[in-house]
Amino acid sequence: MSLFAEVWEAVKAVATGLETVHKRVRQPPATEFYPYKKPEIPPVSVQFLALIQNEDGSDRCVACLQCERVCPSQVITIERKRNPEGKGFVLERFDLDFVNCMYCANCVEACPVSAIVTVGAFEHAVYDVNLLKADKAYLDHLGREAKIWYSPKFGVEMRTPEGKIVKAPPEMQPGGLAELLKEAEGGEGA
Amino acid sequence: MRGPTTITPVPGRTDEMILNMGPQHPATHGVLKVVLGLDGERITRAVPHIGFLHRNHEKIEEARTYIQIITYTDRMDYVSGLQNELPFILAVEDLLGVEVPKRAQYIRVIFFELYRIASHLVWLGTGMLDLGAITPFLYTFRDREKILEIAEKTAGARMLPNYFTFGGVRRDVHPEFFKDVAAFLDFFESRLPDYRALVLDSPVFQARAVGVGVLPKERAIARGASGPVLRASGVAYDVRKAEPYDAYPELEFEVPTRPEGDVYARFWVRFREMEESVKIIRQALEKVPKTGPYKGKVPPRIKPKPGARYRAVEISRGHLGAYVVSDGSEYPLRIKHRSPSFANLQLIPDLFVGARFADAIAILSSLDPVFGEVDR
Ligand code: SF4
Ligand code: SF4
Repeated sequence: MSLFAEVWEAVKAVATGLETVHKRVRQPPATEFYPYKKPEIPPVSVQFLALIQNEDGSDRCVACLQCERVCPSQVITIERKRNPEGKGFVLERFDLDFVNCMYCANCVEACPVSAIVTVGAFEHAVYDVNLLKADKAYLDHLGREAKIWYSPKFGVEMRTPEGKIVKAPPEMQPGGLAELLKEAEGGEGA
Repeated sequence: MRGPTTITPVPGRTDEMILNMGPQHPATHGVLKVVLGLDGERITRAVPHIGFLHRNHEKIEEARTYIQIITYTDRMDYVSGLQNELPFILAVEDLLGVEVPKRAQYIRVIFFELYRIASHLVWLGTGMLDLGAITPFLYTFRDREKILEIAEKTAGARMLPNYFTFGGVRRDVHPEFFKDVAAFLDFFESRLPDYRALVLDSPVFQARAVGVGVLPKERAIARGASGPVLRASGVAYDVRKAEPYDAYPELEFEVPTRPEGDVYARFWVRFREMEESVKIIRQALEKVPKTGPYKGKVPPRIKPKPGARYRAVEISRGHLGAYVVSDGSEYPLRIKHRSPSFANLQLIPDLFVGARFADAIAILSSLDPVFGEVDR
């Protein structure tokens, strides 16, 4: 190839590139304007863990130690004592070290009563690493703040403005497809 | 025989310069150090140093129960996170004798191929960045973001989801999952011509890549290379075809190969693989049962019967295998991960020596190593 042809090829290549780029220039930006616009986090997403309390303020957790056992990085520490009134155990201490947590949600997966759940609170950057070593009061606080959360046993749950805990509609549930399809079929049949 | 671990200057030879590339070189995609002997522009000797990211995966996993280990396998090749779970899970499923429902198999395949596209997009973006082109990087990362969003909605995390489990997947898919994936495929297919125009068909890129870093077929096989690196040297070996797993036997796809074995061929093969992945996902979306079980019957305590099993899958980088030895207890006796990038990196002395220094960067990015998986 002569030098002239080579230069011409290169110019053509640059022109093709610019043309491709030019097509995209007018498109809206792909980035989100955080912190002015908060992203929507799906409830199954493991951003932070929280302990959920019942509507009357009692703990859902029955201190069964399943989550402690299944945690791969061994960051959950539970101390429990016999329930003075009635059966079972009550929590004395529930510590979760978010510094070493891998956000794998094995604990959420293992919990038999949906007490430990994933919540969408994601802004937990702090200056002091010790602030991420959560105790039960903090986990409860996260649970009370949460509007929507997920656990495999009860699916996605929501807190209404009045403080009631209700199940989210099937459009938001993992596996809600089956229910939606059935509804659609029923609608057609009626 | 052990190779040389470092380069010492030859006494009396003044035309050779010793240069350390890495471990914090931006083009090494992580932490790789290569000690190079340079004669002007030409590389005369090359010794790679690996292990900067060693985290002792295999030993840690001996002290974890089977369900906990899945979390660790994600963290090997973090660019294609989800794919790494599969070989270990398949091996344990075999030991347990668990049946995986058809629906779960298809969901796995869809996720597997989505992550292949995501991983190849990262490679395309960063690979072109190494060669000095910034625009593809911005485009590919935006497209990859869409895959990660789909994954987050169902799997619960973007890069390390810990979503596959023994007997299927952990939770049913989001109701909009199949619709989202189909919409993404349409979007992505409209993007592919752009990438082709910007990268593969560009004479500027071809001038940089054609005939550079040629890897002969025999060398590739001898070094145990796999994945796109092997296929770009003309060997049509793909674990999805050779030892099919999950729903792959029911899906039709090609294994793109190329005989040249140069940097351009490796780029081309990965590019074609993205197109094949789109085809696979489309078929899977058609064939997947929309409702049904997503997980087979698994005993509550995972205690595989004594024995050993090796299973492999084709991740974005090649043949990833897991060898699991069980003694019948809750903890595995031994786990060995066979990782593709580690074997592919053994090609560095072969490919670097004789190349120009600037081409070394292009060669390295065409090998597409991820150091989490090289060093484990
Ligand atoms: S998310 Fe995983 S690492 Fe974190 S506390 Fe739960 S089980 Fe442990
Ligand atoms: S698994 Fe659930 S109920 Fe059991 S200790 Fe953990 S949080 Fe409490």
